[in-house]
Order: sequence, then structure tokens, then C-alpha cells
Amino acid sequence: MIDLLVIGAGLSGLMAAYHAAKASLSVRVIAKGLGALHWDAGTIDVLAYPPDSAGVVNRPLDQLAALPPTHPYRLLDEADIHAALERFAALTAELGLPYRPAAGADDFVVSENILLPSPLGAARPVFLAPASQHAGDLGRPEPMLIVGFEGLRDFYPALIAENLGKLGYAARAAFLPFALLSERRDANTVHLAHALDDPARRRNLAVELKRLAGPGERVGLPAIVGLDEHPAALADLEQQVGAPIFEIPTLPPSVPGIRLYQALRRHLLQLGVRVEAGMEAVGFSSDGGGNIQWVETATSARPLKHRARAYLLATGGILGGGFDSDHTGRVWEVVFDLPLTVPQQRSQWFRPLFLHPDGQPVNRGGVRVNRRFQPVHPSGEPVYANLWAAGGVLAGSDPIRERSLTGIDVVTGMAAAKQIVSSQAIT
Amino acid sequence: MFTESWLSVGPTLDECIKCNICTSYCPVAAVTDLFPGPKYAGPQAQRFRENGQPHSPDHSVDYCSGCRVCNEVCPSGVKIAELNARARAQIAADQGIPLRNRVLGRNELLGKVGSIAPSLANFSLHNPVSRVVAEKVMGIAREAPLPRWSTDGTFVDWWNSREDQRLQSDKKVVYFHGCATMYYEPFIGRAAVAVFEHNGYEVIVPPQNCCGLPMLSNGEFKAAEKLYDNNLRKLGPYAGDGFDIVGTSTSCTLTLKEEAPELLDRHGEDALALKMAVWDIFEWLRELHEAGELRTDFERIDMVLPYHAPCQYRAHRVGKPAMEILSLIPGIDLRESEARCCGIAGTYGYKVEKYQISMEVGEELFSFVREQGDEVEITACDSETCRWQLEHGTDLPSRHPIEILAAAYGLYDLESRTLIAR
Repeated sequence: MIDLLVIGAGLSGLMAAYHAAKASLSVRVIAKGLGALHWDAGTIDVLAYPPDSAGVVNRPLDQLAALPPTHPYRLLDEADIHAALERFAALTAELGLPYRPAAGADDFVVSENILLPSPLGAARPVFLAPASQHAGDLGRPEPMLIVGFEGLRDFYPALIAENLGKLGYAARAAFLPFALLSERRDANTVHLAHALDDPARRRNLAVELKRLAGPGERVGLPAIVGLDEHPAALADLEQQVGAPIFEIPTLPPSVPGIRLYQALRRHLLQLGVRVEAGMEAVGFSSDGGGNIQWVETATSARPLKHRARAYLLATGGILGGGFDSDHTGRVWEVVFDLPLTVPQQRSQWFRPLFLHPDGQPVNRGGVRVNRRFQPVHPSGEPVYANLWAAGGVLAGSDPIRERSLTGIDVVTGMAAAKQIVSSQAIT
Repeated sequence: MFTESWLSVGPTLDECIKCNICTSYCPVAAVTDLFPGPKYAGPQAQRFRENGQPHSPDHSVDYCSGCRVCNEVCPSGVKIAELNARARAQIAADQGIPLRNRVLGRNELLGKVGSIAPSLANFSLHNPVSRVVAEKVMGIAREAPLPRWSTDGTFVDWWNSREDQRLQSDKKVVYFHGCATMYYEPFIGRAAVAVFEHNGYEVIVPPQNCCGLPMLSNGEFKAAEKLYDNNLRKLGPYAGDGFDIVGTSTSCTLTLKEEAPELLDRHGEDALALKMAVWDIFEWLRELHEAGELRTDFERIDMVLPYHAPCQYRAHRVGKPAMEILSLIPGIDLRESEARCCGIAGTYGYKVEKYQISMEVGEELFSFVREQGDEVEITACDSETCRWQLEHGTDLPSRHPIEILAAAYGLYDLESRTLIAR
């Protein structure tokens, strides 16, 4: 029997597995498939648009106390939130994929959101960004040259530059031939990132970029600068071009998120933690004492039982697959059928506008937990004595609207693991 | 080509959110333009195949190797590999099946015919002239790692020869050897029997047929039905009586459990009983170990052992049980391959138009083995065609983990692949 079974291989599950493994717990991560991080811009977004805010908040960590009491951040002391983010930044540095807050901010507490260009040319507020995105900081004065590749889908430099221009940022666009990156007729961002692991291809690209870039300009590229060799690829390209280079995350598959996933997965393997995809939880059993005894995953025949002392539900929200629904409007949590705060009538899920400034009620629902991150009944009693939850599955936030998705993942993943490590289930 | 099981597979395409994770991890799309990726050939093209469309809109699906990486990584549960397998069957129904694919699908017949005079058969098939002819006439790549017929009898020849030496026990297990062990690698079966008996199990080897996978993957569903139904008749009674049916070929066990019943619409009680009775051998040994019943009287084996779990384990969705059991053996420095696929994918890499793709896909695995250093003398993998591909790509001998386990019990010589008399 292992100590901890984590269900879900998104950011919250991986961070929890990391924290637990560092505390010497035996841990396994299972997941239906790969997800979340593969779609993600690869930044840590703590908070940009709290409920009722008029615009972007500058210092997210100043705003936490003003969040509604049911918000996942409010389950924690602010010092713990700061510590979790600092631990994440330190871990990524250790993994060779360093994440930092806004330039010059040593103290996370007073650190401000950075505005980075989105693939549509909007300003995207983030709290921690990987090194490859920092030169895109819209607070910097240098004009931007946005470079795309003819035939690469979903990345249109003219659109980005024009929209940035409308927001008052100096940007112009250029196209380079696809053949510079690949002999393939078609290749997605992951294939291209892999192609740029090759120094010879980077040299060809650097020659063209150097020709295009005007004096004092910084160069924005789709996020394809290397996959396995990313840090070296970025440094190498910047040095050859002689200008600051920044990546703009693309539509999925998103290479910056995939890099983070791969780095965490590799590190977990070194810590003895296996991340097993293709294992969908389809059943569980609990004993009379309110403890989960095992979780079953589907196989080619009999379900496979996973027995652990503690279980962490980190299956994500509606997008991640933590909930399912049917045409009648019924919504349920997919593994343990936990009580949900999601409105059980379809008519209450959405507001009349798709992009309503207050977000959508259905996104705010989820699994309610206590301050120990244990799912609870409406009465407040824990549903199972050895079950915890973290990440997108939690109730109380609208992470898309707030831009708090990955921040909640990091912070609650670490917090839940901390609770598990010190719980009676383990000791 | 509408079948009942569309009902379980077809609707999963509506779960596709076009996130492209499958295409990002697909080992074939990574090396060739001929396969645009699982998302395109699977759920997207599928929309044009439904509702009685007479022709498949997308023949690139023929370049899907069936490795199932897509199924594993899909966050939405789309049965992409199954969609593709059915689409290949539809192409076969539209266009007929080339002679080459009919031959490659007939593993059992080839085994039987070659075993009549194995030395002659080996010479006839494996000399350079006949390989060139086979390539020109049949389209079987001349470099592809085809197996050699066993020259010291089939597995069942050996099994029958030791009737009086078999262990009798209250604990019994049914062994499914499959065609490769029967005709090409009888030593795999010998090692398996040695391990079963060492753990106190009496082995039963009932008459059995090819599982049908080579035909299923070449789109010959009708012929595969006959084989599956024969197996159901021959093995069904054992399943009904509660025996475990354990196989050493991960692809055969997968076919009996899931592939055949799902693709051929066999959902009766007997098919379900057979599915639930079948185990892959290391899946079964892991269960034995977890019950505290696996003997661990291992001799030390000092070696660096690169291990590659075959794609079929991905489809079994039982993790990597051979890793777990081999790691119990003192002295073995196990190195786990994370390569997505060896490239061979059953008979895929034998085909002249796909040989180069299969070698480029396999490069991920071959280079992993090279990186483990010069001290590596053998590699390990559970699946026969993958082992042959591994040997072809690395020039190192490859062994089934059951051979390693039998050797650790002191029952088997890894170099000569023979049992050690005790």
C-alpha cells in the first residue's frame, strides 16, 4: 500500500505529489489522460480580476483578504500562500525552467502583475512567468517586432501587432517562411519546438531574425523555442540575434505548459513518483469508518485497484474533467460523487452573455472543502476521513474570470499535501 | 460497415475538444507527413465516415500504427485507436485486402507451414535473394526483422514430450502461448512453464488458435471472427470454471481481453467470462506477489537492463507490472525506457512503404538503449515483434521479462535460452 494516491496530473496534482514525495511519502499519480498544463500558457496567474473589480489589480497578494470567504485562497494564511509561490519559483529554478515575478521585485508580497502579450495581442496579466516570456513585459519601453511563420496555424503576427498597437504598445509584424523551421508540409507547435532543439535550425532562424530586427527592438515569437533543450535554445537564439527575445504562448498545444509538465514529471520520477496516464478512475470503496479503501481504474478487463493511506482529488474543474453533466442539468463529481456547489439547474449555469464581466455561475461551483482541504458535506463534516482535494475541482472561485487558475493550483496543491503529510492517515 | 460497437466507440468522438495533445504525442505524426495525426485521422475524419458513407474520406489512417499513445494521453476519453482500426477495416472492405496483408495476417498458418521443415523455411525466407523478391512481389521490406522458425520443435512438441514430468498441483493455471511462442520462440513458453511450476502451479495447455490480432490490424475482420470464436469455444469452458488464462504475448492477451470482443461485437456472457479470465503474465505475477504468494528466492543477476514496456501494456492500462516484478531481483539495474513505441507495431514495420517510418519511430528507443552505455548486453521487452525490432535497431539480444525471471530462479540460461535441469 502506498501513502498517497493523487488523482489528476494537472498542476495541482503534480505540486501536491512533489510536496508529499519531498516529505518522504510514497506517492503515485494517476490520470485519465494528460490535460490542463498542455493547454496552459505556462504562467502562474495568481489573481488579476477579483470579483467586482473594475480593472486589473496590480498587486494580487494585497487583494487576497478582500476575496469572498469561500474562495480557496481564503482557506489559507497569506504567509502560506506567499511561501507556496516562493517554493514553486525555487523549484522551477532547480529544474532549469526558472519562473520569476516582475523584474526587480525580490519580495513577492509587493510584486506586481506583469502584462504580457496574448496570441490575440491582448494584455495578459500574470504573476510568475518563465524566463522566456519576461522580455514581452508590456511595461518595457522597447518596441516589439512580432514574427510569425507562414502556415503555422493560430498565430498571426499582424493581428497581434495591430491589437497591441490599439492598446498603445509599439509593435510591428513580420512573416518568415515555414520551411525555415521544418521540411514538413505541416507541423504543430510541439513538433516545431522539437525542431528548434537542433542548433543548426536555430542558426538559420537567427540569421533571418537578425536581418528583420531593427535597432532597439525586441523580438516576439510563438512559443516554440526548443522543447527538451529550451533554456539553451533561448539563450543561444538571443545571443545570435543580439536582441531580447520573448515567447508568446500559442493556442493548444501550448509548449510553455508542456515544458512545465515535462519538467515536473521528470523530477517526480527521480523522487520515485510515477505519473500514469490512461488510467481513468471508475470506482472506489469506503469502509464503515468513513475511510476510502481503494480506487479502481479501468483496464482492458478487470478494474485495477489502487490502495493508499490517503487520496487527493485533483481532477480539475469543468474543463479539466473533474465534473460531468447531462442534458437535464445534473452535474456530478466524477470519482467520488462528492457534494457540489454547482447549480443543479441548467438555466442557472450561465448569464446571457458569453463574456459577461461577472463570469459564469457554473464556473464558480465545485467541491467545498474545510480549512484542511478535506471535501465536506453541506453540514461541514468531512465526507471521507482520508480524502483531500485541490486545484480546479474546488468551489468558490471563477478562475477563468479572475485569472487565478494556475495560482490556485500551485497554492492549494501544496497546502493539501501539507495537510496530508501531517494527518493521522499517514502518521 | 456499421456495427453495434459503434455505439460504444463512435460517440466518444463527440468528446474531442481538438486540443491536439494526441497529435503532439503521436510517434508517427512526429516523423512523417503521410500521417497527419490522430485528431485528423480519428475523430475529425470520423464525422465523414458515419451514417453509411460508402467510402472512407481519409486513407492516411492506414499509416496509423495502432500504438495507442493517443488513447493514453487523450484527456477526454476519445477512443481514437479504435476509430482508426475500424476505419482501416472500412478501407479493406472498400478496396479489398492486398495479398501481402493477407499473408501477414495469417500468423498461425505461416507458423504451421514453416514448422514442417523449419531449416528449409528459414533458408527460403531469410536469404537475401528471397528477401528482395518478397519486397518486389509482396511489399515486405527486405530489411524488416522477420522471425525464424524454431528448429528444435514447436512449444507444444516440447510440452507433449514432458508429460510425465509436469507438476501436479491443486493450484492450476491455463497457459495461452500464442503463435510466436508456438512456432518461433518455444523457449519463452518453457521459461513461463518453469516459473509457473516453481511457484507451485500446475499448467494446463489446452488447444488454442491465433488470437486474430494480425488480421484485425490488417482490417480482415471476417477471418478474425473465426479465430476468436474458435478460441471462445476452446478456452471458454476454462474461463467458465474459474481458471486464470495467462499469456506471455501482451498483444494476444490484449486481443482476447478487449480488442477482439470490441472490434467484432462479441459481448455475450461467454465472451465476457473469457475477457475476465485472461491475464498478461506479469499482470498475473504482480497479483500473486501482492497476495504474498510469489516466490522470491532469486539468485543475484548483475546487469544493466534497459526495459521497454510494449505499446500493448499501454492498452492494457495496468501500468508496467514487469518493471515491478523485475525490480525485486537483486543485482539488476533496471533502466526504464520512456520511448513511445519501438516502431514495429505488429506487422506495420514489415511493410515496405512503412519500414522507414518504423525505424524513425524506433530511434527514440534505440538511442535510449545506446545511452545506457557499453555494459548493456541485453534488453528486455514483453512483446515478440518489439523484441525483434529492438534487436534489429540495437544489434543487442533482447529477452522477454519471463526469461529474466526464470533465470533469476536459476531455472534458465539467458544466453542459450534453454532450461537448466535441476
